[in-house]
Amino acid sequence: MTTTHASTPPATRRRVHGLLAEFHDPASLMHAAEKVRDAGYRWWDCHTPFAVHGLDQAMGVQRTILPILVFGAGLTGTSIGFILQAFTNSSSLSLWALVWVTGYPFLISGKPLLSLPAFIPVIFELTVLLSALGAVGLMLLLNGLPWLSHPLLANKRFLRATDDRFFIVIESRDPRFFRSRTEEFLKSLGAKVVEAVEA
Amino acid sequence: MAHAVNMTQSPPAAVSGKGLMTRARTMQLVGCAFLLVGAFLGWRGGDNFLMKAWMQGWLFAVTLSLGALFFITIQHMVRAGWSVVVRRPAEALAGNLQWLWLGFIPFVVLWLQGRLDVLFPWANLEHLAQVDAAEAHTIAKKSAFLNVPFFMIRAAIYLTVWALLARFFVSNSAAQDNDGRIERTLRMAKWSGPALILFGLTTTFAAFDWIMSLNPLWFSTMFGVYFFAACCAGGFSTIALLCMRVQDQGYLKGVITAEHYQDLGKLLFGFGIVFWAYIAFSQYMLIWYGNIPEETTWFMARQIGQWRLVSVALLFGHFILPFLFLISRWTKRWRGTFLFGVVWMLVFHWVDLTYLIQPVIPHDLAQFATYDEVQAAYAHEYAPIFNPVLLTFSFGFLLLTLGGALSRLTRTGLLCRNDPRLAESLRFENY
Repeated sequence: MTTTHASTPPATRRRVHGLLAEFHDPASLMHAAEKVRDAGYRWWDCHTPFAVHGLDQAMGVQRTILPILVFGAGLTGTSIGFILQAFTNSSSLSLWALVWVTGYPFLISGKPLLSLPAFIPVIFELTVLLSALGAVGLMLLLNGLPWLSHPLLANKRFLRATDDRFFIVIESRDPRFFRSRTEEFLKSLGAKVVEAVEA
Repeated sequence: MAHAVNMTQSPPAAVSGKGLMTRARTMQLVGCAFLLVGAFLGWRGGDNFLMKAWMQGWLFAVTLSLGALFFITIQHMVRAGWSVVVRRPAEALAGNLQWLWLGFIPFVVLWLQGRLDVLFPWANLEHLAQVDAAEAHTIAKKSAFLNVPFFMIRAAIYLTVWALLARFFVSNSAAQDNDGRIERTLRMAKWSGPALILFGLTTTFAAFDWIMSLNPLWFSTMFGVYFFAACCAGGFSTIALLCMRVQDQGYLKGVITAEHYQDLGKLLFGFGIVFWAYIAFSQYMLIWYGNIPEETTWFMARQIGQWRLVSVALLFGHFILPFLFLISRWTKRWRGTFLFGVVWMLVFHWVDLTYLIQPVIPHDLAQFATYDEVQAAYAHEYAPIFNPVLLTFSFGFLLLTLGGALSRLTRTGLLCRNDPRLAESLRFENY
């Protein structure tokens, strides 16, 4: 089973999603990933049955900017929480339509209308809520998710990515992708099998 | 990584570090000298102030060690792997609880002299009745709990429990260095549950007894938790500080890494900063909202004169600024910034203790009609933040704590070298 389908032209000409290279152990995958990284490919990924520590560095994956975005989401929650309460409890303003809008200024147990301690629980909750929703939502967004389907999932060989095989996939949209040259390159990295994945 | 793995094959045996031992002894001697100087300076300031300053200095040391004891216990409780390389410094710090009971002796002396009321108004109700009859009347109803013999018995219980818990974890861990028996790890994990319950009860009641009962009219069920959060802020900071101190001497290089500092930082952030603020605010908001005179006076005493500044400084210095500073990943991983963060937290933990212990609730609050009138009448209330007696006591106790921890470290070795999870800890990485 070490034949390469990529070298034989497919019966019907279909677009190629990318090249799939199979490895049998994490160490060889790691070394191959370092070479792919150094070759300057950008649209590629590794698929392993379990988390391989150090693979991020081997692939040259940058740290995510997600934390900064989540911090922003949290600050948004803080501001909304404060503005919402400060406005509804204790202030009024003229909207763009020149309508004078007033909130509900209730006097509760003699406290000032604008009393921060009473607002803090809501501010806190909104901060947590927007941070949490922002973390999940922005994570999906940054990953380009959700996808209804992915070309790799139609590939029989790729099924073993959840079992005992390790894969590198270089996508055809990568500017350095040339089918024959990339295939030779992947083989030279010690891939047991290299095959084309149909789009 | 390769360097770290080598450490498992040839772990540093009981460190012969003369530099570390000399340093530890010097710190202990200077610490004792500071206590003597503090006592000398404070002698003429009146017994009340002297004892309050002593109380704060001593509790500063106690809270740091209690934080470390909690750290060790929780690591065993959850069978944590990452923390093995930083557990020995924490054990050395918690080990101080075996001698810190000595700091309670001045209170025993006061008790034997029958003068415990220089500090605790409830200790002499007849005297209190002359100052404030109404307060004495209310406090008399609390005398089933707030009476001198029971107070002393409880103090003996807390101090004994802490010393025994510290001894249990420290000695088992040290013994494992030599015999490598895995049963010791299992035994410590098994007893960590009961230990945490004991820890929780004793710290809560110690906070009630030693700090809250300074103003016996006031009460807050949240107070014990607040004290516990304060212990975490001080204790976790000091653990990190000790690790850095040891590494400065050239030990444990490549063993304790940025990964471990980051996780210590996360714990400090979670317990010492955010949880502390959460509890402090919860306590404040309920009392502010309820607006009952016997509860609000405690906060009033902290909002008059200079105490107002201290309260605001605490809000920013113990929560807002360190929250923004330590929330980032890199500030916890880079040595310079993390060192700044833990020293900052240690300083503000001390300010927190000042805020808890030093203010005095004025007896004449009832004669004022409004908040602003009280503010005006007590505009010049003095907050002894920069008081030399307080500073010398606190600094002396800090030196004794750090010196005690360092000398214990040199005696027991710097690493739990036969801990079954040592390899996991050496390999540890954050993702």
